[in-house]
Amino acid sequence: MDFMNFAFLCRSKPASRNLRVAVIGAGPAGLAATGYLVCRGFEVDVFDKQPLPGGMTVFAIPPWRIPKQRVLEGVKRLEEVFGVRFYTRTKVFAGEVRHEEGDSLVEKSVPLEQVVNDYHAVLISTGTWESKIPRLPGVGSEGVVSALDYLYRVRVFELGFTASPPPRSRRAVVIGGGYSAIDAAEQASRMGADATIVYRRTVREAPAGVYEVERVKREGVDFVELASPVEVVAENGRAKGVRFQRMRLGPPDESGRPQPVPVEGADFVLEADLVIFATGEAPTPPVSRSEDVLRKLGLSLKKDGSVSVNKIYQTSNPKVFAAGDVVTGPSRVGPAVRSGLYAGRFVENWLETQLVKAPLTAR
Amino acid sequence: MASAPQPKYLRVIDLGACIGCGACEAVCDFLHDGRPFIKVYRTSLGLDIPLSCFHCSKAPCVEVCPTGAMTRDQSGAVYVEKSKCIGCLACLYACPFSIPELEPVLKVSSKCDLCKPLREMGLTPGCVSMCPAGAILYGEEALVYEAGKKRIAESMAKARFEALR
Repeated sequence: MDFMNFAFLCRSKPASRNLRVAVIGAGPAGLAATGYLVCRGFEVDVFDKQPLPGGMTVFAIPPWRIPKQRVLEGVKRLEEVFGVRFYTRTKVFAGEVRHEEGDSLVEKSVPLEQVVNDYHAVLISTGTWESKIPRLPGVGSEGVVSALDYLYRVRVFELGFTASPPPRSRRAVVIGGGYSAIDAAEQASRMGADATIVYRRTVREAPAGVYEVERVKREGVDFVELASPVEVVAENGRAKGVRFQRMRLGPPDESGRPQPVPVEGADFVLEADLVIFATGEAPTPPVSRSEDVLRKLGLSLKKDGSVSVNKIYQTSNPKVFAAGDVVTGPSRVGPAVRSGLYAGRFVENWLETQLVKAPLTAR
Repeated sequence: MASAPQPKYLRVIDLGACIGCGACEAVCDFLHDGRPFIKVYRTSLGLDIPLSCFHCSKAPCVEVCPTGAMTRDQSGAVYVEKSKCIGCLACLYACPFSIPELEPVLKVSSKCDLCKPLREMGLTPGCVSMCPAGAILYGEEALVYEAGKKRIAESMAKARFEALR
């Protein structure tokens, strides 16, 4: 089979139950939930800020990991066979719109309040579209990007949605030790740069794992361990390099991994015309953090910005559910799919209980 | 006995294409209420390896099962006939890949049956449907052999092309 079959539970659209569910965010979690819900007879509309559904699998993760076509063909099937409506380039948001990454192609904005009113249930699966970049001197310089922004710009250019090419580089320095760091470095390297990954712990602690690090080393990427950035060296507002502080491993921190501690007086500069921070992403729920807006919608956010949900992925507004990375923080396709599927089933269960209790009050 | 022999089906996981994302495990977990029959293991090398029943053609688990509970369906999938299983786990002892597990409520052996209920509806196993990387090859035996070889041919061609100067 050459496509992701999100509707893996049915061969064709079952009889409609005339219940409308909105899914906000067409990434792995949103699409998995959509596939489940259409097989259970719900009418599903999907909103996404990108020009195509797929989320990070299409707009960030390189095609040598996930072939975009597999995802896009699966989406096409949802549309054509199961009647799912996709509203793309549409950003759903409540309150003052906050700028996130990957917003450049948005054409339309829809208030979350309206979506909540128009549908019988809503699933929020907007992922993590905000990079965490440490506040160091010089990070505002030209030539400093986040891994997400960098990969996004490459993908969008590849797909032909923009005429402006992604930043070119001769020497790229990537800071981080996760999959984003690996992908950004490999991407830069394939586009002709000398790429170096710098990680503050050792390869043994790197979340991407020894195997991935060794693999990209063979592709020509350098890997420097035990160094933490202290400053982006810039000239006339353009990045020229990064100053690193040498680290050593100390006692374990709360995550159980040995904590990197600075080695006094040991620092060095790596020359770079492109500095990529792959230092994590944060959840981007479709609401501003203002108390008023949150109270009006009956939603609450945790300190890291993630949507808080109960055991059935339900927010404090009973008809609004949330799943995927916007709940858990950055993870992988698998956990996102898992929570999307379970959330889909909980949405179904909840709607069924509503039917038993009282007439629905949507629209 | 059986009239026309049914085509044998095969599932092969292409570890070269697997990205270790865990989507297969996620779907399987969902379909089996929190007890997945394909699991992705994070190894000490940091490489993630998906592991599930291979549905061996000469399955030791079927051979050793004292009650005939471990059996094979017409498509070739090895599965457990729950009502016959006594939970002795001889199948687990016999399995070279440590696949069967005791189902805690019914106390019977449980393992991947290649989504028998879905296949009966003409659908493919959940893990195959939802793999974003296309790493799980599934279909009639001969087609899977072909698909695997075609992939290798493609990568050999690519390697030669890249060596072209």
